[in-house]
Amino acid sequence: MKENKQGTFKRLLGTRGMGAVITAFAGLIIIYVAFGIIDRNVFSGQNVMNLLRSMSKYLLIGVGQSYLLITGNIDLSIGSMVGMSAMISATLMTMGIHPMIAIVVALICCLCCGVINGILVGKFKLPPFIATLGTMFVSRGAAYMVNNNRNTDAIATGIGKEAGDRFQNFFYYGKTLGIFNTFWIALILFLVFFFLLSKTRTGRHIYAIGSNVDAAKLSGVNVVNTTIKAYLVSAVCACVVGLILCAQAGMGNMEAGNMYEMYGVAAGVIGGISPLGGTGLLLGTFAGAAVWQTLENGLNMIGAQVGIQRLVIGIIVVFSVLLDVVVRSGNFRKKANS
Amino acid sequence: MQKKKVGKQMGEVIVSMKNIVKTFPGVKALDNVNFELRSGEVMALLGENGAGKSTLMKILSGVYTKDGGSMKIFGKEYDNLTPKQAQAAGVAIIHQELNMCRHLSVTENMFLGREKVNGMILKNSEMEAEAADILGQLKIDIDPRQTVGDLPVSKQQMVEIAKALSIHAKILIMDEPTSSLTAKEIDELFRIIRKLKADGCGIVYISHRLEELQAIVDRVTIMRDGQYITDGEFHSMTMDQIIANMVGREIKEQFPRVSCTKGKKIFEVRNLNAGKLVRDINFSLYEGEIVGFAGLMGAGRTETTRAIFGVDPKSNGQIFLDDKEISIQCPMDAIRAGIVLAPEDRKKDGLCTKLSIRHNLALPNLDLLCNAMGVIRGSKEDQLCEEAVRNLLIKTPSVEINAANLSGGNQQKVVVGKWLARNSRVVIFDEPTRGIDVGAKVEIYNLMNKLKQEGIAVMFVSSEMPEVLGIADRVIVMCDGRITGEVMARDTTQNEVLKYATEFEKKQQAS
Repeated sequence: MKENKQGTFKRLLGTRGMGAVITAFAGLIIIYVAFGIIDRNVFSGQNVMNLLRSMSKYLLIGVGQSYLLITGNIDLSIGSMVGMSAMISATLMTMGIHPMIAIVVALICCLCCGVINGILVGKFKLPPFIATLGTMFVSRGAAYMVNNNRNTDAIATGIGKEAGDRFQNFFYYGKTLGIFNTFWIALILFLVFFFLLSKTRTGRHIYAIGSNVDAAKLSGVNVVNTTIKAYLVSAVCACVVGLILCAQAGMGNMEAGNMYEMYGVAAGVIGGISPLGGTGLLLGTFAGAAVWQTLENGLNMIGAQVGIQRLVIGIIVVFSVLLDVVVRSGNFRKKANS
Repeated sequence: MQKKKVGKQMGEVIVSMKNIVKTFPGVKALDNVNFELRSGEVMALLGENGAGKSTLMKILSGVYTKDGGSMKIFGKEYDNLTPKQAQAAGVAIIHQELNMCRHLSVTENMFLGREKVNGMILKNSEMEAEAADILGQLKIDIDPRQTVGDLPVSKQQMVEIAKALSIHAKILIMDEPTSSLTAKEIDELFRIIRKLKADGCGIVYISHRLEELQAIVDRVTIMRDGQYITDGEFHSMTMDQIIANMVGREIKEQFPRVSCTKGKKIFEVRNLNAGKLVRDINFSLYEGEIVGFAGLMGAGRTETTRAIFGVDPKSNGQIFLDDKEISIQCPMDAIRAGIVLAPEDRKKDGLCTKLSIRHNLALPNLDLLCNAMGVIRGSKEDQLCEEAVRNLLIKTPSVEINAANLSGGNQQKVVVGKWLARNSRVVIFDEPTRGIDVGAKVEIYNLMNKLKQEGIAVMFVSSEMPEVLGIADRVIVMCDGRITGEVMARDTTQNEVLKYATEFEKKQQAS
């Protein structure tokens, strides 16, 4: 039994891409401790709670984008879908419609967007960059049009006050077992998609089409369906983040989720997911999202200005990929010389 | 059920394709082709590149849909065969260009598209055990958990074969299966093929290495220019008849040799070292001489060419051109000095397949084609393309079509053609005839002969012993990164070369 366990552990360490994940987690710890030394408040329970809550958004976005990166595609429409989801749910709720229905409507709209992305890329073979650039504008446009080019009023007012409060608590302000609900939601979705990617046939096919789409096709993999599924995952993630942002602000903001698709790419890439497809583990995305949020949080705590924050984050993204490339080419050379 | 049927009746017709027609935009790829495969036989499908062999086999495996004709597999008529249906019917294809997901493991590749699941969850350990079992049956020493991209090409191919066997294929199509295997691995492959044959499988074997057919083939079908030419028992035909049928004309000499007087020394390499597979390499090239580099796969020949050309870094060594030492740090240095390389892997290193023939031909010569402002002069480019197409007999309707659309032999000509405008002193050919047909091979040989006559030093790397001995004047044999022998092609035998090619390995094993 013990031996078996050891074997499993060894095997886990030997998993492809685990090296990058470990590096990302190591980087996370270093960054976190470094900020903690500068400002003790970084270690406070309050701050940890806030950190977990605010990293949830990046985690979800990162998961969605990682699915696409692994298939060798990209989804630029994620941020706009976030905005669309926030605006649709908020608008419906201000009209006094039950939050449950608002959520379902937002989800359906996002899924439609995901299906369209998947069909354009998988079936019609449009370059994913172009196809999702189109849907990015379309869904942002939809986000604007939902409430006649205006942000919505507060959702927790008038007849919908009680339901709106419950919505805000469920997605943002409430806690379960001492941790903000937002993190639980993100964690559960992360685990579901982690399972889907690593343990199921669909997940295997996602890696396969990212690695060699022709080989996958010839092996009987349905490339169109698999691509659509990957875009559906990013749509679901975007929708949930939209609901979180709506709950946080207590209203719908037309610009919600702006640039989020790029945050997703950053989280994935820091966690070792190759934008060329075929490799990477969602565990890495977890680390990547955490690195991202820790940086933002830490820089905030020590009073760095927004400009500096952006600059540092940009350097970290490039540096983490550079590290990966250098390490890998180093391995290569070793192999050739040994 | 079908397995039983095969076992009962050896030699029954399991695939019957009649009057198959397939048209691509602008090209009639297949024109009323007939093809028949029986159980328990190895059928060689022969023809030059572009003859339509691969297209026919892609129809049989469901990759392409036929435009006309009838196709029966195990007596069942198929109209719109999909890859999945073909797989279910027992058809498996092992592609010329290995089709594997490099990032996935051996097991994952073998079970791709038909993963074993328990509800939603993949049964990984069960699949691994089965993969290990199949690899064990084939006596292939590969860890089923290893990532395919980390395996050498020969092992990757073995994995493809194992994959085909794992779906209990009864009709196995092998497209150039031996092009990247060593002699030992080929023997191993043939052992497996014979076993499959005995089990009642039908095997379609596509190969340009006619000499290896002898060992395993029962019948042949010959195609030319998308048309069915003939079929029959292999042993009732002579090699000359087969070649004549494939090419449609008599090839006078398979290896045309031109004699030249050996001139002065042009190029010399001294004590070249680069990585594990290039160790203490010393040799010279002379005017009017083709020097063949023989050896087994992984002997370090390609690595040597890459080190000379400045692609891979050298750890030490000197290179002399006309008795003057030159420094080559990158390919541009080599090109400026007049040393050019036609690399082994056409599609990866030799061509930009998405660009037109014109752009490919012009790419290394842009310095010659541009005016002072860096603007490309179209007329010069036209002239260069026209000359290349004329001199090399590149068969193409226009130089504007993508290099990817050419047949292998014509692609190779473009790879060579892009260097010829430059008045090079040394031309290095790395496996220039791999995967191209007999007719195109002879054209490549003639081209090398022409260069030799023009006083250019030609370095010719090839794993095919007969062509090295048939074309080169002098043969240098490498093994394990070292030069182990040097012989004159006229005075040597394949056995002697093979002895040198395996020399170092044996010593190492003994110590």
